[in-house]
This record gives sequence, C-alpha cells and structure tokens, in this order.
Amino acid sequence: MIPSVDTAALLPMILVGVGALFLPLIEVLLARMIRQKRTWLSRPINRSMAGAWIAAFSCILLGFALILTLGTVGADVRFFNLDHPTARRDGLTGFLNATILIAALITVAASNRYLAARGIDHGEFYALILASVLGMMFLTSATDLILLFLALELMSIPIYALAGFQRGALKSIESAIKYFMIGSFASGILLYGCSLLYGVTGSVDLATIADRLDPENPLALLGAGLVLIGLAFKISSVPFHQWAPDVYEGSPTTVTGFMATAVKVAGFGALIRVLGIALEPSSESFYWILWWMAVLSMTVGNVMALIQDNAKRMLAYSSIAHAGYILVGFCVGTEEAMAAVLFYLLIYTFMGLGAFTVLAGLARSGEEPEQVSDLAGLGATHPFQAWVMLLCVLALAGIPGTGGFIGKFQLVSSAVARAQQMADSSLIWLSVILVLNSAVSLGYYLRVPISMWFRDPEDSRAESSDSGFLGGAALLTCALAIILFGLVPNDLFVVTSEQVDALASAKAAAASLR
Amino acid sequence: MQFVQHTAWRADYGINYYLGGDGISLFLVVLTGFLLPIIFLASWTDIGVRIKHYIFFMLALQTGMLGAFLALNMFLFYVFWEVMLIPMYFVIGIWGGPRRIYATIKFFIYTMVGSLLMLVGILVIAYLHFQQLQILTFDYLPVLPGAGALINTEIPAAGGPFWATQIGLFLAFALAFAIKVPLFPFHTWLPDAHVEAPTAGSAVLAGVLLKLGTYGFVRYGLPLFPIAATQDFAPWIIGLSVTGIIYGALVAMIQPDIKKLVAYSSVSHLGFVMLGMFALNIQGLEGSVLQMVNHGISTGALFILVGMIYERRHTRQIEDFGGIAHVMPVFTVFFVIATMSSVGLPLLNGFVGEFLILIGAFDKTPYWAALAAMGVILSAVYMLWMVRRVFFGPLRHEENQRLLDLSLREKVVAVALTIPMFWIGIYPASFLRPMDRSAHELLLTLEARGAVIQREAPELIEIDLSEQAEHAGVHE
Repeated sequence: MIPSVDTAALLPMILVGVGALFLPLIEVLLARMIRQKRTWLSRPINRSMAGAWIAAFSCILLGFALILTLGTVGADVRFFNLDHPTARRDGLTGFLNATILIAALITVAASNRYLAARGIDHGEFYALILASVLGMMFLTSATDLILLFLALELMSIPIYALAGFQRGALKSIESAIKYFMIGSFASGILLYGCSLLYGVTGSVDLATIADRLDPENPLALLGAGLVLIGLAFKISSVPFHQWAPDVYEGSPTTVTGFMATAVKVAGFGALIRVLGIALEPSSESFYWILWWMAVLSMTVGNVMALIQDNAKRMLAYSSIAHAGYILVGFCVGTEEAMAAVLFYLLIYTFMGLGAFTVLAGLARSGEEPEQVSDLAGLGATHPFQAWVMLLCVLALAGIPGTGGFIGKFQLVSSAVARAQQMADSSLIWLSVILVLNSAVSLGYYLRVPISMWFRDPEDSRAESSDSGFLGGAALLTCALAIILFGLVPNDLFVVTSEQVDALASAKAAAASLR
Repeated sequence: MQFVQHTAWRADYGINYYLGGDGISLFLVVLTGFLLPIIFLASWTDIGVRIKHYIFFMLALQTGMLGAFLALNMFLFYVFWEVMLIPMYFVIGIWGGPRRIYATIKFFIYTMVGSLLMLVGILVIAYLHFQQLQILTFDYLPVLPGAGALINTEIPAAGGPFWATQIGLFLAFALAFAIKVPLFPFHTWLPDAHVEAPTAGSAVLAGVLLKLGTYGFVRYGLPLFPIAATQDFAPWIIGLSVTGIIYGALVAMIQPDIKKLVAYSSVSHLGFVMLGMFALNIQGLEGSVLQMVNHGISTGALFILVGMIYERRHTRQIEDFGGIAHVMPVFTVFFVIATMSSVGLPLLNGFVGEFLILIGAFDKTPYWAALAAMGVILSAVYMLWMVRRVFFGPLRHEENQRLLDLSLREKVVAVALTIPMFWIGIYPASFLRPMDRSAHELLLTLEARGAVIQREAPELIEIDLSEQAEHAGVHE
C-alpha cells in the first residue's frame, strides 16, 4: 500500500529538510565563485560574505517554515498513513515546532558573527542545524515509537557534530565525544525500553500501547521507565545530567544555546506525548519518580550553579534547574499545568538563548572569554547587550515584570490549584521547593549584573562584544518577547491552553479507540 | 477605599490592575511622595556618576513603593513588592560603599526568600477562595458588592492540611513582612545595606521601604489571618518587637559609625511600630501607623544629614568628629532637632507616636510595655551620647576646622524635613483624624473575622459606626 502523505502539513519539514541537503552544495558554489573572483553588485565576493549569505538563506528557510507552522498551529493533521498515523500534527506539535523554529532562527542569526570571528564559518554548520531541527519537528509529532526513535537520532547526531564544530579546540572535541557517548547510551536505553513496551503490548503506536498497558506488569513498568530515562537524558534532568555542564562548556557558545533550548523543547515535547498518551495508565506509578526528578533537578542545578565561575557552566546548571521547574508541571499533570509547561518552554527559549547570544558576542583572540568576570563593565561599554543580558537573567530568576515570572507563577499556580483540589500536600511542598530554589538561583544570576555594572571594564578579558546585525536583531527579539510575555501574557495563554485542549481531545480520541 | 481604579489585566485569572487608598495607606503614600524629591535634592552633589541611571532607578523604586502601598490586588501587590528590589539593588550596588556587593546580595536574597513563600501563600488563599465561592480572583477587597475578594476567604484556624490553615499561611506572609520590617532576628541584612548604600539609598530604605513590611502586617497579615495573628502569634511578635527595641538600642549604643548607629536605631523604632500594631486597639494601631510616618521623616532626615557631613569629611566615624557645633552651627541645629524627634521629645513627632503606642501596649500587656518604655530611655541614651561626642566639646581634629556650614540647597532640605516634625508633634490631629475611620474599620473587620481584640474607648467606636453608615456608599 502506498502511504498517503499530506504534503501541505509536511511543508515546513520539507523546507527545512531541503535546506539541510542543499546548503552544503550552495556553499561549494559560493566557494567556486570566490575562487573565480566573481563579483556581486560590483563587489567582490569574499569568505565572510559567503558565510553571511548562507546564514541569511537558512534564516529565510526557517522563517518560511515558521510562518507555515504558525499559520496552521491549531490544525489537526495526521500523516504518512491515515489509518494508522505514525505522526500527527496537532496544535501541540504546531506550538512546539514554532518554538523550535524560533530557537533555530535565533541560533542561526547569532552564529554568523560568532563563527566568522573564530574562522569556522563553514556552511555545514547551518546544514547541521537544519537537519537537527528536522529531527526535532518529527520528534514532537511522533505518535509511534519507531518514528520517535528515528526522530530522536536525527535530532541528536547533527548536534554531536555541532558540539565538536570548533575542530581546533580540544575542549570542543572533548565535549563532542562526551555528548556522543552519553547520547548513544541514552538512545540505547530508550530503544530497549521501546522494545520492552512493544514486547508487552505488541504495538508501537502510542495510543494502542496506552490501551494495552497493564500498570501492574513489571516488564511494562520497566519498559516505560527506560523510555523515561532515555528522554530524561535529552532534557538533562537529575540524575541524568552529568554530561550537560561539560558538553555545554566545550561546545561553541551558540550551539550550547541551541542545545539548552531547542533540544530541551523537543525532548519535553516527546515527554508530553509519551507520558500523556502511552504511559498514562501507569502515571500513578511515575508520580513520585517525577516528583523526585523535579526536586533533585531544581536543587542540584541551582546549588551547583552557585559555585561556577564559568558563565557557560553556570547557565548549564541553570538549564538543569529549569528542567526541574518544567517537570513540576508534569507532576501536576492537569491541563492547566501542561499549558504552563508550553508557556515555560517558549519563554525559556527566549531567555536562555538571549543569555547565550550575549555570551557568544564576547570576543577575544585566542582563549574564549566565558567567565562571569569577563562580563565586567559590559553595562558601560556595551549597554545594549548588557540590558538584554539583564532582562534574560532577571527572567531566568523569575522576577515579576518578565515572562519568566509569569511562567513560574503559572506552574506554581497549577500546582497549588491541584493540591487544593486533591488535598495533596506533596504538591504544595513541591511549589515551596520551587520558589525557594528561585531564591537560591538569585545567588548566581545576580552575579551577572554585578559583573556588568558594579565592576570595571578592566577586569574583563573580553576585548570586544559584537553580535553583528543579525545577532543584534535576535537579541532585540528575545528582549521584546521577555517583556511582552511578562506584561501581557493573555494572548499566549489562550494559545497554549488551546493546544492543550487539542492534546486532551487527542487523549479522548485515543481512549475512544480502546 | 477611595480613589479606586480597577482595570482588568488577566481577567480569566482574576488578576486586575486594582489600586485604592484609605486612611492607613494615605500617609505612607504622602510620605513617599514627600521624601523622594527631598532625597533627589539632598543627593544633588553626592551622586557624581551615571546620573541618568540614578534618576531612572530612583523613580522606578518610587513606582514600586507607591504601587505596593496602593495595590488592592494581591498579584499586583506581589509584582510591585518584588519589582522594588531591583532598583534598590542597583542603587546600592552602583553608588554604594566598599562592601556594597556583599550588602546588595544579602539584601536581595533575604527579602526574596520571604516574599517567594508569600507568593505560594497568596496562591493557596486564592484557590481556597475559589473552592469556597467558585470565583477565581486575586482582588483583595471586593470591587463591587458581591464580587469575589480574598478578604472574604474563610481560612480554617485549625484542621486540614497545615499549609491551608491560618497558622501556616500567616507564617508564609509574616516571614516576608518580618524580613522587610525588619523584626528581630531577621534584621541582619539591614545594617549592611544601610552602611553600604549611598545617602539616597539609605534614606529611601529607612524612610519608605521598611514601612512596607509593617504596612503588609496591617493590610494583609492581620485581616487575612485574624485568629492566627491575634491569638497564636501575637505574644511572639510582641516579644520579638520588644526584644528588637532593646537589642537595637543596645547595639546602636556601641556603634562607632554614625550611619550604623542610625541603622540600628531603625531596628529599635520599628519594634515600636510592631508593638503598637499587635496591641490591637485603636491607640496602638493609630500610633503604629503614625510612627511609620514619623520614623520615615526623622530617620530619613538623620540619614540625609549624616550624608551631608560625610560628603564634607568622607568619614562617618564618631571619633573623627567632636565640637563641630563651633564650625557648623546651622547643621547642628537641624541635626539636634532630628535627633530629638527620633528619641521622642514632646512637641516633636516621635513623642506622639511612641506615646500612643505605649498607651495601647499598656492596655494589652503592661509588662512588655514597661520593657518597651525602657527602650525609649535607651534611645535617648545612645542618640544624645552620639550628639555630644560629635557636636559638642572641644574641636579636636584639625580637619574639622575648615568644614563649611550648610549651603542654601542643604538648608532647604533640612527645613523641609523639620516642618512635618513640628507639625505632627504639635498638632497630630490633622494626621490622626483621617486615619481614624480606617483604623476602626480594620479593628471591626478583625473582630468580625473572629479575632479577640480589646475594645477601648467605646465612644470612639460609636462615632465610627455612625460615620460608617453615613459613608457606606462611598466606602466599598
């Protein structure tokens, strides 16, 4: 039978995929033009110009994909096979894919100048980003364990290469190898879990698994647990987080930003599907596991971040803590909580990427200026970057007036509502731990503005800070989004709630199949 | 409530931009509006760098403070309450003294820990209210009769999970407020922040910011959890307040640094404010609110005056001065007036507040009140001793010979601060009268919600009831 394909729904993926395949080719053509000393609008083509063109071209592709995705956020489309869809493009996917595409756009925009400054502006960088984005977009839409695994690998393998993109730097290579080893290990665990689930239920379809899963069966629980562990590696939740600080530190800064945001969004997207649909019958068995994962991620992430001097490591631990905050939403598990999770993922993308983009802008010949102290005096020398960085760290810390606060408020609010409804104290303690962790996190977030405003520029090892035009636009976008979602979050809430309603109806549909 | 403004912000969540004032917030708002221009004038030459940023942060700070005093939606209150921290953090961090980074982090984290627990408390109350009345709102008072309001939430005094009882929730709120006040033993951030802050920062911190803690107790702590506040915790808070009064005074006595001395005197004075409030009668309550204003004026004035002499000598050590009344007579006059106002000399503002508070407290707990009255004596001791060592006696230091007396700008600042000291001291009725009705109403609310309070001066309450009937339409 020929599988039926809904081309319109696949168009964003197709665009991204075509980009991933053709960008290296375009680079070769450009290199040829450079060699032949051709001109464009009477200006000779040089290397940096070629890099800028490829970056701009990937931005355009991603932008189109984003517009197409946004245009159909609410639409519910199943593809590949209408009778037994292996993927569906419902509102949840649309929202997550839009978030991923935004993250990719910001990353690409920030990377151009960063790569050029380090002499590694090869076209493959953008091709790898696009390939990874393609994997993420399928990961959020997979309703089938096989596609889930394929998409996970398609997402991960380009990132392994990206982590080691700075071939000359030992740290970068180390981080690539470390990430590859641990990543494949996680994939293996995930695959093993999938096979156990298949063995127990005889199906790879998430809804069918939910139908046939017996929460009493230890083998089924083992399979479900292994799938959970595999995904927990991707979202770097404690106790599966050890790789994150090393990998984040060694990778090129813009890649780190991409890993901390887009990969996390995709990983959580898969987790929503797997936990929400396939493993729903056993959700009670997982409540305490998720509870402890959330508590440990928040606490370990924040406490470890306190003692870091390297800004990238600090943000790595902070991203572990943020995974913990988001897991609180999974513990609560209501529709309101899921809407809060979606909101948090989007706002985290802006605040995390904004911070990494400012860091990427710091330039110095030779060693990377990536200590917190290298931000010294940024407020005086580069006020724009400093203000964006301030907004980002305040949002990450959850100060009112920023989107980060609304996200945390929403998570805590859903937890308190649920706790009151069920008279369940464990959720209140979870909220209390969350807010206390926010207070702890101030200890390290505040060091950033301290460095930027209260210290002299002479203390900094950074020689300049330049994000370039595209990077500047990306920073402006992050800053505006943080303020906008902090002050008028209503519209975004309507959107996230709608997407969660879509998920709920998907669940209902799955239940009606039973 | 008057001057009510109510605009939907996130209506589905009951989060509204909801402001209004009553007799209790009125003078705190006026105080904020009064102090800030004076502080700008006082720091005219003190702030030499990044003046643009300084003005920006100070105005942002004022926005946050006014918002927190006026907010009637608890979400909005929380937002203003937290937003205030950021400009203060920068004011201390950029223009502060040598240990400013330590002080600013300590200040920020201390206050944030308390307030985050309050956020969870606010949410618990909002969802309790939702469970009871099926209306999700964060409005504190009903905007229209019958509309949802958190003040109407029935919070169980005991029974059920701990976090949904008055005791648990009061703890969450009280921690936030007690840190801000600061109530002993949560005061340790205050001396650091004050000493490192620039003059303007200290004056705002002591003058207005600390009042938010006491205001939080009056506005939210007492009415929301009347039983926990008046029965379970009142003895503790009174005990801690009196401990703070004595402890602050004793520690202030041995400080070699004038600014630190004034900072510790704040701990002592705010103990009085808390004592009066938890006496739970009309004298104590009105004295407490008036004392908030008094402390704002006199301590604000002391910090500004200390800043003036610091600008001239670049030291604040008491031993570096002595006999400067000979070279700076005008300055000495104003400083002594501010000191007298702070120690509570009759005819000056401090006396009225402390007197009312002590009357109220004697009614409730005579022994604690007697101890607190000891604090008045102690405050006279450390203040007057400091004044003697700084201003009188022979001029011991060569450098002090050339000190210039106050300039015209500084005289304007000092006069502006001295006028309200005399006004409140001589004719406090113009301040007490407007707060009468709100204070009575607060006590009536407390009683209606199950608190055991002492009713003194019954004729006052009768007047209040008739007035209330008269103004019922305007009021809610």
